[in-house]
Amino acid sequence: MKTSKLSTIWNKFIPLLALVALIVVVTILNPSFIDPANIMNLLRQISINGLIAFGMTFVILTGGIDLSVGSILALTSALSAGMMVAGVDPILAIIIGTILGAVFGALNGLLIAKGKLAPFIVTLATMTIFRGLTLVYTGGKPITGLGDSYAFQLFGKGYFLGIPVPAVTMILAFIILWFMLHKMAFGRKTYALGGNEKAALISGIKVDRVKVMIYSISGMMAGLAGMILTSRLNSAQPTAGQAYEMDAIAAVVIGGTSLAGGKGRIAGTFIGVLIIGILNNAMNLLGISSFYQQVVKGVVILIAVLLDRKKS
Amino acid sequence: MQILMENIHKAFGANKVLEGVNFELEPGEIHALMGENGAGKSTLMNILTGLFHQDQGKITIDGKETKFSDSKQAEEAGLAFIRQELNIWPQMTVLENLFIGKEKRNALGVLKEKEMKTLADDVFKRLNISIPLNKEAGKCSVGEQQMIEIAKALMLDAEVIIMDEPTAALTDREIRMLFKIMKELTATGVSLVYISHRMEENFEMCDRITVMRDGVSVATSFIKDTSFDEIVKQMVGRELEDRYPERNPKYGETVMEVKGLTRAGVFEDIHFSIKEGEILGVSGLMGAGRTEIMRALFGIDPYDRGEIIMNGKPISIKNPSSAAKQGLAFITEDRKDEGLVLDFSIRENIALTNLESFAPNGVVKEKDEKQFVNMMVERLKVKTASHETKAGNLSGGNQQKVVIAKWVGTSPKVLIMDEPTRGIDVGAKREIYNLMNELTERGLAIIMVSSDLPEVLGMSDRILVIHEGKISGELSKEEATQEKIMTFATGGN
Amino acid sequence: MKKIITIAMVLMMVFLSACSMESPFVKDSSGDDGNVKIGLSISTLNNPFFVSLRDAIVADAEAKGYEIIVVNAQDDAATEISGIEDLIQQNVDVLLVNPTDSAAVSSAVQSANNAGIPVITIDRSADKGEVETLITSDNVAGGEMAADFILEHLGENAKVAEIEGIAGASATRERGEGFHNIADEQLDIVASQPADFDRTKGLTVMENTLQGNGDIQAVFAHNDEMALGALEAIKAAGKDIVVIGFDGVEDAIASVEAGELTATIAQQPDLMGQEAVSTVEKVLNGEEIEEVIKVPLELKTK
Repeated sequence: MKTSKLSTIWNKFIPLLALVALIVVVTILNPSFIDPANIMNLLRQISINGLIAFGMTFVILTGGIDLSVGSILALTSALSAGMMVAGVDPILAIIIGTILGAVFGALNGLLIAKGKLAPFIVTLATMTIFRGLTLVYTGGKPITGLGDSYAFQLFGKGYFLGIPVPAVTMILAFIILWFMLHKMAFGRKTYALGGNEKAALISGIKVDRVKVMIYSISGMMAGLAGMILTSRLNSAQPTAGQAYEMDAIAAVVIGGTSLAGGKGRIAGTFIGVLIIGILNNAMNLLGISSFYQQVVKGVVILIAVLLDRKKS
Repeated sequence: MQILMENIHKAFGANKVLEGVNFELEPGEIHALMGENGAGKSTLMNILTGLFHQDQGKITIDGKETKFSDSKQAEEAGLAFIRQELNIWPQMTVLENLFIGKEKRNALGVLKEKEMKTLADDVFKRLNISIPLNKEAGKCSVGEQQMIEIAKALMLDAEVIIMDEPTAALTDREIRMLFKIMKELTATGVSLVYISHRMEENFEMCDRITVMRDGVSVATSFIKDTSFDEIVKQMVGRELEDRYPERNPKYGETVMEVKGLTRAGVFEDIHFSIKEGEILGVSGLMGAGRTEIMRALFGIDPYDRGEIIMNGKPISIKNPSSAAKQGLAFITEDRKDEGLVLDFSIRENIALTNLESFAPNGVVKEKDEKQFVNMMVERLKVKTASHETKAGNLSGGNQQKVVIAKWVGTSPKVLIMDEPTRGIDVGAKREIYNLMNELTERGLAIIMVSSDLPEVLGMSDRILVIHEGKISGELSKEEATQEKIMTFATGGN
Repeated sequence: MKKIITIAMVLMMVFLSACSMESPFVKDSSGDDGNVKIGLSISTLNNPFFVSLRDAIVADAEAKGYEIIVVNAQDDAATEISGIEDLIQQNVDVLLVNPTDSAAVSSAVQSANNAGIPVITIDRSADKGEVETLITSDNVAGGEMAADFILEHLGENAKVAEIEGIAGASATRERGEGFHNIADEQLDIVASQPADFDRTKGLTVMENTLQGNGDIQAVFAHNDEMALGALEAIKAAGKDIVVIGFDGVEDAIASVEAGELTATIAQQPDLMGQEAVSTVEKVLNGEEIEEVIKVPLELKTK
């Protein structure tokens, strides 16, 4: 009994230990890594994957998957850029874009819950549909000329108290989602759904409603990430966000959340996002070829999954 | 085959599971192994069949000291273990299941379909059973699946077959058939280890009985030399009062009425009513439609027509959530698969049905939650070191108590219990019966579906018998007997 | 009510004053040890053209004794920006950027401007931010070269198919634009289908196009990969069709020499690379530089 308790604590901290070890090693190899400017740099770089991965954590906790996040990001980015070009107030366009992300996510959720379809299949289909709609809407060309609104520029490129605004957005989103997952009935239902969907249903939980909510959150986070990207790129790219779902899933898995659902923590995902971000940043700093970067990322995912395997 | 296990010790980490067990088995004998959940029966049998290795003690088979390195070796030596959780691949056919991992094939690796069919037919003939070989195993009844497992064991020329709770999910007719097969097997020199909580079965079928308690074998006796009371005393280490507590029901108003409930092809025209303080027993053969009726009442499965009336008002039930709001509660027959989130702690499981009340505005008030869970755990006497223990780590009896706790906590008006004591040890059973009494004294109505006839007779105030989806009879407590119930259940009059 | 508005206003002011577009952590550019460090952000290394370009730049830079760090954007605008930020962090002296997209790269160029690092773009430009120069092949002219070539060989109103690159990519737009400038008037474009710069997709698209239009006389593909894929489909169908690729990668040139591919509009990555490194030298020496440096394209035929 005692040993198992010790090992669960140990398991909880494996991702954190890995993160600390990574930071130490990288700093030794290239001290400019812990330069405050680079830390800020890093935080801004991970914010997009962070937001998507936080939403993905909810989905994966229920044993589902959301492959459409990259496409939702591109579509909301294109639509809000289109609005800005048409003269809509940029702040309003950002809000509408984020809400549209939630709406596209809800569509996934409805198909999964009411249509009783597998999440993999539904989001694989909507991934293609949303990407196609993005290309249709943009005509395959980037949307530019978004204007010079200070607030809009601030959203992707600015600083708040010296911290990049995208990083602030990510941290706020993390706090809100952490609270929802660990302090609210909704979070408990999310875990219950992933742990045993039948038991959750029979316990009187409105399983369908929870699912729609969860996919809406995932879509909303993708939409929000899309808004940040639009500001950072000062344009909407029709090909933006391709394969982002993979980085998000990787972060969730590295953070110790089980793809089978029911087990995992959003704080772990944050660590996973940091690990992936640091790997990318550090390997650039160390001048390691991008080809090796992909190999290393893959190896890290494998190690994370193997550790997860040992846990159960 | 003659087996002798002496002074077997086994610990998992710091947890000592077996602390000196002696067990013997003679050829052609049926040897009952009894004990409360957690007494170490399964561990002992897992050691015998090579899955675990004892820390201390020795196993002698036919005079030779033996230690199987894995279960495959034990299987080859002629020991088969039919577990409670059957090893059935539901999507595969009966034939495929019979030969899984042991397929007959020619030099090219192509399956010898015909040879396998002949072999399977032979075994089924020997067992006197007729299940179509091309049937999907998942569509077979639990009884049939059990037969498939026994057939698998026989095809391996097993000389010793260990059966863990083989009758828990079987109907009476299927049990009869199983017993006949068991007798026939012993006549050919096969010996059986029979693990069951059902005292009557042990006394009917077995030659000897070994009782285990807390990792120690308490006694081995010949069935003819012992008695129910003695065995119970050995098992719990103390005298146990009557198996069923005395009931003095006081009925109130009619709380629920069901009229003409029908789901085409599953159940038809179900009519009944239940009063406050009443326990309504629902009996019938496995597959008669009892569980399906209850699931429809609770909104898990749909129904085509019919009316459900609560406190005089017709209600509509769309899903479990709306059923719970109308004052219904449902304890499923399958607590691991449907009753509990096994990765959740006791606290989280109990709180799950009551989230709305601790989280009126969405945020869980942890203090209220803890208080409530403390109260429920105490009231139901869930034995656990901490409320944070995972439900999956609890014994069957404690798991069932947690399932009951989560529903009792919703203060329902009608509690539906589907097989409330299946696979639970005697002590925990008694506690659940006491609780049922206590709840009905407070005016709760209980609908109890059970395949355990003595339980139905012992606890119900009134008994409905279901046959092929219809109510075939209703009996009051006074007039009910096992024979009458079985007559209705099999469609007689 | 008034109070609330006042408080809200004050909070707003505080919030806004906490915001800025400048990082408080100014890059420390001291500690330069006289060694020249160049950062190269390349759009992708999944395409032999960019591999040749990188190899040329790395070889030339090292020959001149410069240190060079390469980051790969993997065709993703966000990855590109991150990579450039990492290079800025490394205190590079000059940035060579081969953008994935000219609009998307702007903010990274601006960051480099803020850090005082000169930027040279290669192959594609940047919409915003200060750039020393753009080193590029003239893609529009290349598209026109291809159309002219077909016109020369097959005469007016020849039936042609166009295999396009990734929808929205600038090479797709510009090469297509050049081609259409001439082809729209003087040739008969019977099919235009994207194959995403990918050889396998080029093969499939060509197979489908041949199914629908058996009498095609010429094919213009926006890059060599797709042209080589299309060529396989044409060979399999036993047809004799003029196929023109773009880029001039090794495979394509070998194919032209073997008499299979009719022609390729060859970019000259080696030349671009040399041009890039010598421009770096000029920038460091403070010499005047033209706004756009056009590296000639070359029509390669047998």
